[in-house]
Amino acid sequence: MSTSPTPPLTRSADRWLAGVCQGLAMHLGWPVRLVRAGMVLAVFAGGAGAVFYGFLWLFVPTADEMLRSAERRPVSPIAPAVSHGFQPPGSGAAQEVAGASAVTLAAGSAPQGSPGEKAKGRASGPAGAAAGSGASPGGKRGHTLPYAREILTGSGLLFLGGILVARHLGVNVPLGTILPGAAVLAGAAIAWMQLDDARRTGLVSRSGANRSGGWIRLLAGLAMVIGGVLVVVSGSGSWEQTWLALLASIAVLGGVALVLLPWALKFWRDLERERTGRIRETERAEIAAHLHDSVLQTLALIQRRAGSEVDVVRLARAQERELRAWLYQHPGEGAGLMAERLRTAAAEVEDATGQVVDVVCVGDAPVSEQHEALVQACREAMLNAARHGGGAVSVYLEISAAATEVFVRDRGRGFSLATVPADRLGIRESIIGRMRRHGGSAEILSSAEGTDVRLRLPSFESTTTTKAQRAEETR
Amino acid sequence: MSGTAPEPAEIPGIRLVIVDDHAIFRSGLKADLDPSLLVVGEAGSVDDAVRVIAEVRPDVVLLDVHLPGGRGGGGHEVITSSAALHGTTRFLALSVSDAAEDVVSVIRAGARGYITKSASGKDITDAINRVAGGDAVFSPRLAGFVLDAFGTSPAEIADDELDRLSARELEVMRLIARGYSYKEVAKELFIGIKTVETHVSAVLRKLQLSSRHELTHWAAQRRLL
Repeated sequence: MSTSPTPPLTRSADRWLAGVCQGLAMHLGWPVRLVRAGMVLAVFAGGAGAVFYGFLWLFVPTADEMLRSAERRPVSPIAPAVSHGFQPPGSGAAQEVAGASAVTLAAGSAPQGSPGEKAKGRASGPAGAAAGSGASPGGKRGHTLPYAREILTGSGLLFLGGILVARHLGVNVPLGTILPGAAVLAGAAIAWMQLDDARRTGLVSRSGANRSGGWIRLLAGLAMVIGGVLVVVSGSGSWEQTWLALLASIAVLGGVALVLLPWALKFWRDLERERTGRIRETERAEIAAHLHDSVLQTLALIQRRAGSEVDVVRLARAQERELRAWLYQHPGEGAGLMAERLRTAAAEVEDATGQVVDVVCVGDAPVSEQHEALVQACREAMLNAARHGGGAVSVYLEISAAATEVFVRDRGRGFSLATVPADRLGIRESIIGRMRRHGGSAEILSSAEGTDVRLRLPSFESTTTTKAQRAEETR
Repeated sequence: MSGTAPEPAEIPGIRLVIVDDHAIFRSGLKADLDPSLLVVGEAGSVDDAVRVIAEVRPDVVLLDVHLPGGRGGGGHEVITSSAALHGTTRFLALSVSDAAEDVVSVIRAGARGYITKSASGKDITDAINRVAGGDAVFSPRLAGFVLDAFGTSPAEIADDELDRLSARELEVMRLIARGYSYKEVAKELFIGIKTVETHVSAVLRKLQLSSRHELTHWAAQRRLL
């Protein structure tokens, strides 16, 4: 059994009646004549053979059906891997363990009209042997027992058989008690099977059954419900009384519900109001915490440094920037985009120099390597403007399909590039040289009324959009 | 050099109403403004503002975008409620807000300009003079909004005239966004300062009347349509 996989149990096309015996013989590896003879003999043993034959006829698919269902529902991708994993040379021990457990399972289920065998044949085809063993792939899916359906059917049949045997032996079985209980259990089992996997996990997690202790609670609750039903059904005896009692309880429950409904609604509304109130309270607390952490701290600092105008302006400006970002920007918005990058650079310059740098951006684009160089060059220009210009610095970024342009303007006394000493690399290298290296250009116009630095980076690919263009596209 | 460039004709005795819900800011602003301006009224809410403006009929109203009271419409509600005075009273929006919809909403309601609260007293005085003279006042940031909303490519066909800016208007807007004063713009483009003012007024008109998607979207959000 462990060396050659058992052929799945199917009804053979080569048949006398329904192909049951032929299929069973192929599956068990017995001669077909022996099986047929056994079946005929069993028919005379109180009709057991006929029942067994009928059962298999009904529930075992034909070879064709089997093929089709195998096509529709491919074997779990893990199953072949597991079954092959057991067969490399030198791992005989594992192989035998797997084989042995498979045999035990098959042997254990054989007397019950072999539902286990059938299941193996139906569920996973060639991988059945491996899947049936302890290391089954089914075991990886949480609580789901492999072949739960078949095991349940089997235990039900065993139970039924046990009762029949006991009665035959003269034991008095209280059928009146056992049958309703069995019916309840069977109903619960069927209902459970109707649920799909997702709903089952949902149910289990909602009832808290996936936690330790949860199962006990759930089982205890179920046992009590079932016990209650049993007492009602078997204890009082008469059905009429039971129905009356049921109707009466429903009427009482309905009455209670009607009486309590307004109160319950009010309670519910109060709860909702309290909840929204709490949410608002949380929000207010968050805002208060933010204001405390930022604004109040900064105000305290400003009061302490009131003597130094530069410090006050710097602090106020940094705080304003931070608060603005908090108020008007959605977290994560603009991250990795050019405008945001340039604003950050401008903020750094403001912090470093204490001069106001006003940034106006039109259009936006992701920051490329060239853009990064542009930002660095612009940063240098902003630093120069803030240090030497004296006064507010205006920065304008325009990203169009053709190019990315940045203009940095200050209103200082101006300077002439020719008079800048040769060893000062700020403008020559950090601005002009850097822009040239990255395929852009830099132009510096300075007069007595201020200095204008124009940085231009032609687009290499058209990833840029202005707001207007974006809107045009989405229209 | 800052701020000395624009020299709008000084109109003697401009009568001004300041509308802002922060009393501290109002008094600070009054102290900063040029003494030639006559502050004839103050208001701290939409209802007060509408009443005061109707009462004193000022030349210019310096109007905060965010105001309490009224139907919650803030600055643009003041402007729309004072529609009867639009011929004589001009509105200049003043705001700390960076949000485009705030700015555009007051401009579309009829404000003649927009300036940030961080501007110096001198700059605000200049802006008030300019608005009183019938011109439009664009801060660099407003110019940036306009360029973003209208696009940076010039109009080619005549029939979408309201929805696009002309090449010249684009140049003017770009220079203003770069921090140029009107006079500097005029010098840069070799045109007269009056021409610059004409272009800016034309852009303001387009901003107020255009049905461009971005603008109507903002307007719709603020229930201005």
